[in-house]
Amino acid sequence: MAVVLFLAVCWLPSSSHAQSTAEALTSERSVMAEYIYRFITYAEWPAAVFPTAEVPIVIGVVNADDIAAELEQVVRGRLAHNRRLQVRRMAPGDPLTEVHVLFIGREVAPRFFQTAKLISDRPVLTITDLERGVDQISIINFIQVDGRVRFEVNVAVAEKSGVRLSSRLLTVAMRVRPG
Amino acid sequence: MLAYIATSVRRKLTFVMLGTAVVALLVTASAMIVYEARNYHQTWVDDLVTQADILGKTSAPALTFNDPKTARENLAALRLRPLVTAAAIYRPDAKLFASFGGPDVPDLLPPTAGIEGYRIEGNQLLVWRQIRENGQLLGTVYLRARYELTKRLQSYLVIVGLAMLASLAVAVAVSAWLQRTITEPVLSVARVAQQVMERRDYSLRVRKTSNDEVGILVDAFNDMLAETDRRAMALEAANANLLYEMRERRSAEEALKVADQRKDEFIATLAHELRNPLAPIRNGLQILRMSNDVVVIARAKDMMERQLQQMVNLVDDLLDVSRITTGKLVLRKGLVLLQEVLRNAIDVVRPLVDAKQHTLTLGIPTADMELDADATRLSQVFANILNNAVKYTEPGGTILVTARLEGSTAEVRVADTGVGIDQEKLAHVFEMFTQFDASIERTHGGLGVGMALAKQLVEMHGGTITVHSDGVGNGSTFVVRLPVGVTAVRAAPLESSEPRKSPSKRVLLVDDNRDFVTSLAALLQLEGHDVRMTHEAASAVTVAESFRPHIAFLDLGMPKVSGYELARQLRAQACNSETVLVAVTGWGKDKDRQMSREAGFDLHLVKPVDPDQIIDAVRNATVAH
Repeated sequence: MAVVLFLAVCWLPSSSHAQSTAEALTSERSVMAEYIYRFITYAEWPAAVFPTAEVPIVIGVVNADDIAAELEQVVRGRLAHNRRLQVRRMAPGDPLTEVHVLFIGREVAPRFFQTAKLISDRPVLTITDLERGVDQISIINFIQVDGRVRFEVNVAVAEKSGVRLSSRLLTVAMRVRPG
Repeated sequence: MLAYIATSVRRKLTFVMLGTAVVALLVTASAMIVYEARNYHQTWVDDLVTQADILGKTSAPALTFNDPKTARENLAALRLRPLVTAAAIYRPDAKLFASFGGPDVPDLLPPTAGIEGYRIEGNQLLVWRQIRENGQLLGTVYLRARYELTKRLQSYLVIVGLAMLASLAVAVAVSAWLQRTITEPVLSVARVAQQVMERRDYSLRVRKTSNDEVGILVDAFNDMLAETDRRAMALEAANANLLYEMRERRSAEEALKVADQRKDEFIATLAHELRNPLAPIRNGLQILRMSNDVVVIARAKDMMERQLQQMVNLVDDLLDVSRITTGKLVLRKGLVLLQEVLRNAIDVVRPLVDAKQHTLTLGIPTADMELDADATRLSQVFANILNNAVKYTEPGGTILVTARLEGSTAEVRVADTGVGIDQEKLAHVFEMFTQFDASIERTHGGLGVGMALAKQLVEMHGGTITVHSDGVGNGSTFVVRLPVGVTAVRAAPLESSEPRKSPSKRVLLVDDNRDFVTSLAALLQLEGHDVRMTHEAASAVTVAESFRPHIAFLDLGMPKVSGYELARQLRAQACNSETVLVAVTGWGKDKDRQMSREAGFDLHLVKPVDPDQIIDAVRNATVAH
């Protein structure tokens, strides 16, 4: 059903919707990558996770190589909280130590959270792009609104993890689940 | 307006105070308006910049996460600020991200952003502020608001204007109250000055109410008024004095003029009266020379004697007047009987009374009325009054003489049925040289001195003389009142009028006026004296040596040798050292008397010499040899 609608929408305005779709997808991934970087600027971690000033902010990407690729482009040469940023492609079973931000691809996300329940107790900014209507298990979840990338925030999860999000971020969140 | 203000100190003061207040208020108001303008501008710009910054900060996440809706919601909060008419947020690439405002907003938004700052366009204030986070330009906020400086200044001007009006009103009230302390004393000075000018009343004074310069002014003004008052009074007094003196002088001049006129008339009359008897006398002389008829000669002699007597009377009167006026008349008082005096006087006028066929009635008490008086002079008084009555009464009239004693006063009335006296002229009856009817005086002879003489003689006796008349045609009455003398020693009645015989003496008369000497010699010879006369000093010395006079009358003003020199020569003669020397001269001052005394004279007689004086002098000369 969604596919049909998607086709209908894409079909009418464009003659080369396939190419457009591909470009839109790429664009969506790059926006997400950019947003992930910007989320970091609005987030704060407990001081303990950064023993020294040289410790970079590590962004773990699980099962989302396209995102990881985009992220690597985004963070190149940029700082956040005066720290370098480092993208780490990870597998679902990889240890989560020294990871500050974790993006989990759609396919593995439910299972990932089931298998690594303890992750919610760690100060890790978890980000997903699960479809709407699904129970949010990450702190931030990308959603699509009118063809644009928006996001929702689960404050309860954030609080539990120990990552503090700026309230200003919440003003632009699509939806904020109270804690 | 300025001319109106210039006429009053109060208005000037008010003008000065209000002018000062207005200037002060204007300066203050200008400063406040400038301050307000700057303040408004700065505050409003700062406010909008801050607002823009807040919007930028708030909208940074929206820009970060490309959320125009949230940005619009942020901007929508500006509806709470009505002065902000438009707002917008631009992306870093200067493209519009979100906007706020009415339907015309798109037109109002600038095409591009990127600059930072503010600009004023008319009544609009435009502000651009960049949005930065972590050193990264996120976008630009644009605000447009009403810039109501003009409107605000207008309302401010209105407020300031109202405040100024209120201040001026208060200033007027306060100045009116305050200036009274200054202007009131000045105004009172001005008021008094004006009153002084209007009323010429220099006794007015200004009340002093303060001790400041105005007080000094008041004091000075009052002092000046006092000084002016004093001077005005002095001037007035001097004027009054001058006026009085002028009046006095004028009346004196008038009196002099009248006296002069009288004297002229008198001289004319005198000449006439002196001339009148001369023609009959000359005629008589001619008769004496030509006629041998005894009867005719006797008649001529009588006539001549009468005429001569009239002349003698005239001259006597004149001499008396002269003596009285020069104070030389001396009364020889003694105890006299009024009856005798009256009888004597009546005897004098009897021929005239008879000639005019008047009826003379006497009412005199038989009891003696004794007076201390000069019988001769008193007789003269009544003779004059009677003579007057006879003259002024038509022939066949009645003259009534009555006398009575009233306490210590003897009253004599002489009433006639004559022409009477006009009421207006009554007061002048006793004035010298007064003649009421020239024609009557002509026919009867007279100089108009008779009544004046009578009055003066009566007054010398301590009495009074008055005249009454019921008018013209109703006759007149003269009343003489004399004090009755009780202490006087009774003297022989009328003895003084009779020439008393005295021991014969040798008298030498020396005078170049032959007539005077001759007549005087005759008079003295009648008295029984041995008289010699010479007309010059040289012969006088010779005569004196052999004659050895008891007394010598020497004229001082002789030619060749003066009386003084002669006196010395006579005194040099041993035989004449005791001779009484009498100076006869026209000079009668103390200096002249001194000179004659030094020359050796014993007596100093002033011409015209009264024969009585001569006779007395001879009589009193001691018979030393």
